[in-house]
Amino acid sequence: MRRSIILSLLLGLLMSIGLSGVVAQSSNCEDIEVGVDRPLTLVYIPQENPEKLIGDITEISTYLEGELGIPVEGFVALDHAAAVESLGNCSADVSFMGGLPYVMAHELVGAEVILGEVYRGSEIYYGRIFVHADSDIETIEDLEGRSIAFADPISESGYLYPLDIFVQAGLLDVEDDPQDFFSSVYFAGGYQQAVEAVINGFVDAAGANQYVTLSLQPEQLEAIRWIAESDPIPSHNVIVRQGLDEELVEDFTEAMLQLNEPEFQYLLQYVFSPDGYVRVTDDAYDGVREIAVRYGFLEEDVLNEANEDDTTEDTDD
Amino acid sequence: MFDIHIKGNRSRWIFVVGTILVLLGITVYITRAHIVPEQPWHPVSGAYLRSTFYLNLGPQIDWDLIEQEYASEITEEGYAFSTVYEALEPVEAMFDVGLIAPIQEAINNQDATAFFDATTRANSLATRYYIRVAETKLDQPGAALNDVLTAQQLYRAFGQDFISRVDPEAFRQLGFAWLNMTNSVGNSGLGGAGNTAANPDQFMEAKTIIEDYLSTNFENGSYVVDTAVGQRFAPIPMSVGEVTIPLWTPPGMNLNDQDPLPLLRLNFEAQGFEESDIPLVAYGDMLFDSPEIFGDPARSMGVTCSTCHNRSDINQAFFIPGVSHQPGAADVDGAFFNPYFNDQRSDSLDIPTLRGLRFTAPYGRDGRFASLREFTRNVIINEFAGEEPTEFMLDALVAYMLEFDFQPNSYLNPNGTLTDLASESAVRGEVIFNTEYDNMMDGMSCASCHTPGSHFADGNQWDIGSSDNYSHPNAYENFFDTPTLLNIVYTAPYFHDGSLDTLEDVVNWKNEQFAMNLTDQELTDLVEYVMTIGAADEPYEIFDEENTPFRLAWAELTTFATTLGSQHIPQQDAYHAILLIDTVAPDFRADASGLQNYDDAWMVFEVADKLDEIKIAIEQRDWELAQTLYDEYETLVEDYGPQLR
Repeated sequence: MRRSIILSLLLGLLMSIGLSGVVAQSSNCEDIEVGVDRPLTLVYIPQENPEKLIGDITEISTYLEGELGIPVEGFVALDHAAAVESLGNCSADVSFMGGLPYVMAHELVGAEVILGEVYRGSEIYYGRIFVHADSDIETIEDLEGRSIAFADPISESGYLYPLDIFVQAGLLDVEDDPQDFFSSVYFAGGYQQAVEAVINGFVDAAGANQYVTLSLQPEQLEAIRWIAESDPIPSHNVIVRQGLDEELVEDFTEAMLQLNEPEFQYLLQYVFSPDGYVRVTDDAYDGVREIAVRYGFLEEDVLNEANEDDTTEDTDD
Repeated sequence: MFDIHIKGNRSRWIFVVGTILVLLGITVYITRAHIVPEQPWHPVSGAYLRSTFYLNLGPQIDWDLIEQEYASEITEEGYAFSTVYEALEPVEAMFDVGLIAPIQEAINNQDATAFFDATTRANSLATRYYIRVAETKLDQPGAALNDVLTAQQLYRAFGQDFISRVDPEAFRQLGFAWLNMTNSVGNSGLGGAGNTAANPDQFMEAKTIIEDYLSTNFENGSYVVDTAVGQRFAPIPMSVGEVTIPLWTPPGMNLNDQDPLPLLRLNFEAQGFEESDIPLVAYGDMLFDSPEIFGDPARSMGVTCSTCHNRSDINQAFFIPGVSHQPGAADVDGAFFNPYFNDQRSDSLDIPTLRGLRFTAPYGRDGRFASLREFTRNVIINEFAGEEPTEFMLDALVAYMLEFDFQPNSYLNPNGTLTDLASESAVRGEVIFNTEYDNMMDGMSCASCHTPGSHFADGNQWDIGSSDNYSHPNAYENFFDTPTLLNIVYTAPYFHDGSLDTLEDVVNWKNEQFAMNLTDQELTDLVEYVMTIGAADEPYEIFDEENTPFRLAWAELTTFATTLGSQHIPQQDAYHAILLIDTVAPDFRADASGLQNYDDAWMVFEVADKLDEIKIAIEQRDWELAQTLYDEYETLVEDYGPQLR
């Protein structure tokens, strides 16, 4: 995506969701008393089977209703943009998403991150380049003229961060079409599909989340190895819309943190199956913001604003 | 090796194996039990493969079970259709072809060939249906992706276990076509960036490849049935000639351990001894975890004693569609595990605990074996089609299982009386438990059979009316062994067939069955008593940062391997050494997937590889080299062990 069209794209999105400012919000947001006027509303983005997700929503909503004492409902958005839109126009209050959509949501509609997922004891993870265990490919340089499958063009760990490995190594320029380096570039529709394309011999390499290994069978694990790792990526997160009642945000945060307790951990399977949650703040996503700017998802000004915000917060402290 | 050899002309999908299966080669394709859950199946493809699996469990085909797959309400939430039949309605409409009626007719006629024909065609057309739905959305970038992924889920019934193995070139071409299809649908981007339009030409090219293959190979069946010894069905592409396919298992099978994992209590450990110092027991422990002692299909599937009896207890999660009537149960003398031993009766039984095994003879739900050794041999040979075990193997297995202790219970004295910690309600319940009732087996009490001073069992069999499956009004089919009540809180469901979910259900059932006329308070007290005597101080394994599932597996496997160094290599016992390595080395590799940090897996693989080197040395009868390699193996274990979590 070329810089020159960023502004028009952002503007297009803002117009499409009926907003007029850079950090804008529907004017009726302030009038909504969540729990009275309507239920606390969670918007999910399909990461796998969207139909299965609906069953999961029932489970987590029921739990939250018990903890918060107010009605809770959820729905599955068509995609990330629709989820961000629903936070902007106050048709939803909470969402679960990756770092990239979060920094977009923060910039566009003022959403704030409250919780980060923990996997295997860590709040960060990596994108990796996987090849077949029997392959002659040892380094990313060996992938010139070979085929690669990524998960999705707007996935941090399944595209942008793995692609950035090649950019940082000087094998590709940000402005280049990746097809100039690889023989073929596929978007397989998911991490697992991308890695299975390697295992089945359809492609030479895959760019995917490091934790794709958790969903592979042992014999599949033995069929792959990884040759390069991206910069660290902050884990997926839970975000709230601008203007949501602070007390409710705190109660919701506590209820989600309670899922870390052994007797509630079974509920984590209904929220994309992390090992648990920790509190996080916006500055944890500065690295993602840089990637978003580098690959044309946000304008460079955003970085300056974020730095100013950090400075202001430091001063306030 | 467990290959199913399909001799067929181009129109033959059905092939015959029957009892000759065990004579043919075996290829291990099915993974061992491990922690990765199965990827969810689409209801249509799941029902299709399960039904096909049920057809193969003949000669007594369970048509009710097959009909349920298509007609019953789908348990997974969130689908736009409530049954598989309903899911097929729009497919029928799109292709203007009858799919539901032919399936129903085949079920009514109990015509296996017609059923397989109709359901295979339905799965193929449903795949093509979602591709065509996707095609209608190409004007919206990314909107078609979910439909393409759904189509892939349906194709998986053909591709994953069958096309991939019998037509690898087509599998490769189709794989590229699917990649091109997901690529071609475009992406809606994020905030405008990353937005890419669909590529209809690329989509249509992929669609043509996939649809041509499916329509040619899975929609125009003309079947030849050879009924010499039985029928076997599998979705083999018609364009494939003579092929060999490995064992396949149905969607929804779960061989993973139950969660929470029962805590194992071995008597020698409780007394402060190490398993590695008791080689016979260590080898028995290894055999308890070894699929190598069984024949196929259990061996290829990685089924072991501990698959059903997790840590000496039960596995509430164990489930094989068509073999288990519910989770935690199995028909071990049916058509699946050993056709020679198929007793033709549909008698899937609840998996019993083995805790306190040395006190709970006789063995089997109806107490048919007085000897644990004979019971064990029957399990290996008859139930799971294994070869005759050596005397040493039976000795080892029995020695190990005799160490299974009950979990201690602070509420209970060794003589079966309650301690001071028990509640008043439990104390009142104890009185009821020991009271004789006129209508209870002619004046017996609960305690008459569940004798408190004898582990709450009596070693006898009784017909208490828990089953009404009588071949004759005075027949003895429904005498079952009195189960111990110790640690029973953790072994739900209850009765031989697991028909009652809770201990409260059991108490209520007995109150009615024996007209005990207990008041509500008395019922509450009796339940409280049973819950108290059936409790355990530590029922489950507690995992934390130090005691991870991988650490537990590592400790077990390294203990198993100690008998190589202490017994088999010094005694030049090749048979038992190789059996051990064939069990332990693959288990190391499988358990590596449970590492907290999978990047450490290379250390585990290196350890497994070293064991394989020892095996080669033993096969060559180079015992000196085997000893050297074993020493190296021990060094690796010492070096790597502390680093692995």
